[in-house]
Amino acid sequence: MTSTTVTTAEKPSSRISGRTILIALLVAIGIAIVYYYIVDPTATTSVLAGTIRQATPLILGALCGLIGERSGIINIGIEGQMLMAAFVAFMVNVALGPIMPLGLALFLGVVSGILVGALMGGFLAWMSVTLKLDQIIGGTVINILALGLTSYFYVIGLTTRGKLPTFALGPLADIPLIGPVLFNRSPIQYLAIILVFVVQFALFRTVWGLRTRSVGEHPSAADTVGISVKMTRYMNVIIAGCFAGLAGAYLTLESVGTFERGMTNGRGFIALAVMIFGRWTPLGSWGAALLFGFATALKTQLDFMGLNVPPQLTGSMPYILTIVVLAGFAGRARPPAAVGQPYESE
Amino acid sequence: MFKRISLLMVILALVSLVLAACNSSDPEDCSSDEVFCVGLVTDVGEVDDKSFNQSAWEGVQGAEGVDKVEFIETGDAKDYGANIALFAEDGYDVIVTVGFAMGEATAEAAATYPDIDFIGVDQFQGEAIDNVAGLIFNEDKAGFLAGALAAMLSETGTIGAVLGTDLVPPVVAFKEGYEGGARYINPDINLISTYHPGGMDVAFTDPEWGASTAKQALDQGADVIFGAGGKTGNGALGEVAGAEGAYCIGVDTDQWETAPEAHGCLVSSAMKLITPGVQALIAASKAGELPAGNYIGDVGLASFHDFDSEVSQEIKDTLSDLEQQLAAGTLETGYNPGG
Repeated sequence: MTSTTVTTAEKPSSRISGRTILIALLVAIGIAIVYYYIVDPTATTSVLAGTIRQATPLILGALCGLIGERSGIINIGIEGQMLMAAFVAFMVNVALGPIMPLGLALFLGVVSGILVGALMGGFLAWMSVTLKLDQIIGGTVINILALGLTSYFYVIGLTTRGKLPTFALGPLADIPLIGPVLFNRSPIQYLAIILVFVVQFALFRTVWGLRTRSVGEHPSAADTVGISVKMTRYMNVIIAGCFAGLAGAYLTLESVGTFERGMTNGRGFIALAVMIFGRWTPLGSWGAALLFGFATALKTQLDFMGLNVPPQLTGSMPYILTIVVLAGFAGRARPPAAVGQPYESE
Repeated sequence: MFKRISLLMVILALVSLVLAACNSSDPEDCSSDEVFCVGLVTDVGEVDDKSFNQSAWEGVQGAEGVDKVEFIETGDAKDYGANIALFAEDGYDVIVTVGFAMGEATAEAAATYPDIDFIGVDQFQGEAIDNVAGLIFNEDKAGFLAGALAAMLSETGTIGAVLGTDLVPPVVAFKEGYEGGARYINPDINLISTYHPGGMDVAFTDPEWGASTAKQALDQGADVIFGAGGKTGNGALGEVAGAEGAYCIGVDTDQWETAPEAHGCLVSSAMKLITPGVQALIAASKAGELPAGNYIGDVGLASFHDFDSEVSQEIKDTLSDLEQQLAAGTLETGYNPGG
């Protein structure tokens, strides 16, 4: 009985009006893209490719945030997790690069980034589940810790011998517009898109997802039917950490190829806005991440075209839209009921 | 046995004390009039940062007629004043402070220690203070040369620039100069340039944005990209290095040294020549003629390194000609901050 209640409560987007608006919006976006593609195919393609790229760390960060929050743990330490993972992934790659093939070194770099993300997730879980520390403070600890450690151990002038390359998906990449935008990308960018659907499915169609949501909505009810609230939260926050770790590895080993102090530059916090904008669902968050990515790419394009739009104006566009969405566009944005509350079994 | 060792230790300790005492009667006593001492306080970071701090330190080391040089690395921006005071209390004759951020602390110290000359690297002097020389640069001229080089190298007729923020005047100067130089060579050139959308706090430390944005420019046919904006610009350079047949141009110092990830494309850098500027100012101070107010240092392009063979003699000749005209003031960059 509990399970059905939770499932229906979780899907406010199934209301007809919300869905109609969403479809109308998608159709409008589609028409706009085709129109601009006819007007200027090169610019349109590069803006959309830029959108996907800029959205990658955001959606991975948002997935990290929402897996944690769905089980009741607020994670504002995504920024720190990303930064730490970016650093460790980079250093592992630099250390292993000279003694093994580049591909293997990159792979091990990414894996170590993911593990560090998970480790930091475990640390957050320990603080917020076992120690029952205020979760905002726990996340802040992670952010400060990551900034301090990475800045201290950072060595100027290191670089990787290569980055994760882009590879085209055969004939799919030859489709006009869609090919270069979606099917000519680098590994973590593909992985991020796949993970959106995997998490969406897992969260709403599997036992794990059901348990996660029940723990996040009503932990004492979950406890009553034999779900371990502590274990579920630990597991989720650690899994979530893997996503932030992947985002960090993306920054150093796929996108930039080097580490810089504080290079996450607030992406972990934007990821939280993306998650809220996406109403704590993977698909919604993906849409929000694409919107943020698009705003950045569009701003660059306007500059390229010589239109002197103040950068602060275009830069703030996604945040304004976030407020619009939060203010009630297409249904209410509601966090999981038990988020941020330590659970005490009776 | 044990007693003997103890005795040995005591003797050793005494000898070392005596030696230390000898050492402290320093022949290089900075407070004495005959001894000319120069101290350098770095901006937050290390003295071997291959950037501003290192360039300034090389200038201090290379200055002539100096008896003693020393540096202090600043660990935190709060320590600027204290670090300057360490040198001042020791009676140093010249204190070099590196970076725009230390301007205020330098001016305050100059008022406290009127007998010491101060050299502020990258510190624009709004009002001239008698014992402070601000070493500043015409970034637009360096940008102009970079733009001319870019326009001559470009085969597609599209060149780009990925920049920090327009909130920082030198960045705007670099951009305007770059565009002026490119148009001087090819009036029809397609210039695509963009500033980071964020504020001062993030605009120079966002290599991921720099890389993504450079890719967007490359996708639209740009084959030379100027990366001017700290780590953000370095991100752009790194991205261009991965692209086939595209060049990139660095900024501030010779980035061949600072951005190894850009070796695949880095044809040159638009440099501020801090080292000779610091040397010249120390020499002036030694002669008792420190120029109060702003002292404009030289700018120029870094060497072509691995790309030397790809830059034709014709291009090199044009660049040196432009450099002379800019230095002589017969050529305008088109950058006019007043209007």
